[in-house]
Amino acid sequence: MASFTASSLSFSPVSCSFKQNQASSLRKASLSFSGKGFPSHRLPALRFRVACAAKPDTVNKVVEIVKKQLALPEDREVNGESKFATLGADSLDTVEIVMGLEEEFGIAVEEESAQSITTVQEAADLIEKLLEKKC
Amino acid sequence: MKLHCFQRAFFHSSPSLIPVQLPAPMETHLWYMKPSEVKSESLLKEYLDILSPCERKNVLQMGGEELRKSALLARALVRTTIARYQINSEITPRSLKFRKNIHGKPEVEWQYSDDWHPPSLHFNISHTSSLVACGVTVNSQIGIDVEEKHRSIKHNVLSFARRYFSEHEVQFLAAISDPQVQRMEFIKLWTLKEAYVKALGKGFSGAPFKTFTIRSKSVPEEGFNKLEGSSLKASEIVVDSFDNPTVLTSNWQFLLLELANSHYAAICTEKHGASEGDRNVPVKLTVWKTIPFLEDECVSGTDAVKTICGL
Repeated sequence: MASFTASSLSFSPVSCSFKQNQASSLRKASLSFSGKGFPSHRLPALRFRVACAAKPDTVNKVVEIVKKQLALPEDREVNGESKFATLGADSLDTVEIVMGLEEEFGIAVEEESAQSITTVQEAADLIEKLLEKKC
Repeated sequence: MKLHCFQRAFFHSSPSLIPVQLPAPMETHLWYMKPSEVKSESLLKEYLDILSPCERKNVLQMGGEELRKSALLARALVRTTIARYQINSEITPRSLKFRKNIHGKPEVEWQYSDDWHPPSLHFNISHTSSLVACGVTVNSQIGIDVEEKHRSIKHNVLSFARRYFSEHEVQFLAAISDPQVQRMEFIKLWTLKEAYVKALGKGFSGAPFKTFTIRSKSVPEEGFNKLEGSSLKASEIVVDSFDNPTVLTSNWQFLLLELANSHYAAICTEKHGASEGDRNVPVKLTVWKTIPFLEDECVSGTDAVKTICGL
């Protein structure tokens, strides 16, 4: 979380495993310091964007694709922390999930990256990273 | 090499395993279990009991009873299987330790002293919710993969193949007009490719599926099919690698089976001592259907094991 003194700004390390509702507010954390209350000659105008956790939309889409691929019941709890292996995805399922994500988001996932995705959150984070590269 | 075929034996007292001799070089052992046949709660408890605390935790974390059961049986199968070979008197299913090599491939971590050297035993596991299998060799890397014959994939077979398989393999699949046959050939090809990557032990990214082709050597158009009633040897399966011409792809041999009438099983093992121009030394395969601590049945040569290719 951000903490600041009059002359310096510091952020303590931010953990990346946010629940969905926290992620959205974090995404919008743009801090500007050229406003009232801060002597503008001391502090430069700074904008910070904490881009750590993927958007809830992305996570939800991943959940949807995973549930479909593994034929999980609608009421089954799947969230960012869910591990593919624990949900019962074998290697063929995982490859199909990656393919589904590529189609949904219009991205291409390298084998090295695909191998490192073990949870829904990791998949969502990778998607966002690839989408950012595209722009 | 004599086949070791054991009569059905039922043990109701303290858990014991029928010992087996290690496979000879060029011999592969395959052990499999069907989760649906393991119904006894007390037996499942015995299996849970031989797992390491870490394995137990992983098993119990699986989402759903069916997944927990097949995860449990996979670990129980590998532990009991290796223990059967009675490498030394100290080894029990529970005492075995495992670790992963630098690429993440599981291997046995032998506890040994200065005057004892463990054999070069290799193993590999694969499981679906309906079948759990463990392959064992000596002196030879091994990779196995099992899939339900009737497994369906969510994507179109050719779209999937275009994304992940090599061009040659896409052409092979595209040439099959019957969608059912195409799907089954796809599943066979998938198991073969998985088995190869698992044998290499470098993980999915170590040998991306697009960078190698697996094909049937003698009768390419027929794909991976049984030569019905033929006196010819079943066609050989080979792998060509594009990325690494230096990788000796002639070092690997493949076996494709239909197991228990329900699954395709692909086995990939290292060939040793083969030189250019040598005839392929046939792989000897012995298959057991087992319920560890309860019964073992040698099923080689029965209907439960049908060779499709490679033997």
